Amino acid sequence: MTNPEVYKFFSDYVYQHTGILYKEQDYYRLDSRFNTLVKKFEVKDASELFNLYVQKITPEMHTILIDLCTNNETYFMRDLKPFKAFAKEGMDYLKETFPNSISYNIWSAACSTGQEPLSLLMALDSFGDKLNLNKYKIEASDISTNALDKAKKGLYTGLEVQRGLPANLLIQYFSQVEDNWQVNKDLHNKISFKKLNLLTESFPLNEYHIIFCRNVLIYQDMENKKKILSKISDAIKPGGLLFMGAGESLIGVDIPMKQLELGKAFCYVKDS
Amino acid sequence: MKVLVIDDSKPIFMMVSQMLKELGHEAIWAENGQDGFEKVTANSDLELVLLDWNMPVMDGLEFLKKNGAESFCKAPIVMMTTENKPEKIQEALKNGAIDYIMKPFTADILENKIEMVCD
Repeated sequence: MTNPEVYKFFSDYVYQHTGILYKEQDYYRLDSRFNTLVKKFEVKDASELFNLYVQKITPEMHTILIDLCTNNETYFMRDLKPFKAFAKEGMDYLKETFPNSISYNIWSAACSTGQEPLSLLMALDSFGDKLNLNKYKIEASDISTNALDKAKKGLYTGLEVQRGLPANLLIQYFSQVEDNWQVNKDLHNKISFKKLNLLTESFPLNEYHIIFCRNVLIYQDMENKKKILSKISDAIKPGGLLFMGAGESLIGVDIPMKQLELGKAFCYVKDS
Repeated sequence: MKVLVIDDSKPIFMMVSQMLKELGHEAIWAENGQDGFEKVTANSDLELVLLDWNMPVMDGLEFLKKNGAESFCKAPIVMMTTENKPEKIQEALKNGAIDYIMKPFTADILENKIEMVCD
């Protein structure tokens, strides 16, 4: 039986560094993570792990813990409608709102293993105008080093490429490498990946035409949600768009953005 | 939604049928392309066909080609096969399959493909 003090120590640490909240009733979800760490650091149990972490947390120990406690669940074209709306009505909207822009800055703020930014590029080709890759500057960030490493490789299993990706896009943009699928370089190279902590780090001001920040804020409490959304709002150009996850909203958050129906999806537009 | 599963393996049909049932759909079985053609003709309310590639009597590609020539099947056809080479996927799409599921797959992949195809 793991001591409640151990759960509290690790859940507080994770909360402090990521905003991800493990409430007391969720402590059991830490058990499998403890098991992984116990094996990794070759200690006896969670109490010994606690003794190790409580003395000193090296950058490596920090990264391993944070990687384990973030949820990297993702798939291509997740929920589909936002991607269709982004590529079709979203691009029409940008052309109208930013008639002088020759390129558009798009940020996938929690890209996990890379499916979201790749989906954005493929959606532009599949549902929107024919793709002119030079028109889009795609940035993608995530807090998890492991997830980002995978995103940077662009190599996915047969199961991963089938989740959300129509077969015509699979054969158009991926090559088979044994039983895995490697995304083509010309698409992959359009994305610049970087490690970023949405909670603790700052973002550039008025930089992005569109930000995708989906299925991240559901893991945050209201205070951190407000903090992250306020920085996101500052990072979007006036008139720019924010896409959030299904079931996420700006309710209770006071930032200068209004809901906008775009095709069959909803997003938020920043006041001009 | 009524789904026709054309696959010569009964265990695979049982597995897919169970997955479809859990997603709220009804599955009927055909054990090869020829049987599939007969089932399509007899069931005008089909909304989706899941089609294996390698089968006796009439294989999946022959079924697609026959449909290409005769347009007997109005429902979208999704290949569901162990064939996983890009050239095979390309060939199936070229001959009228709307999407492609590589075996092995999971229930959430099937759900996701159905959502995309039937949206």
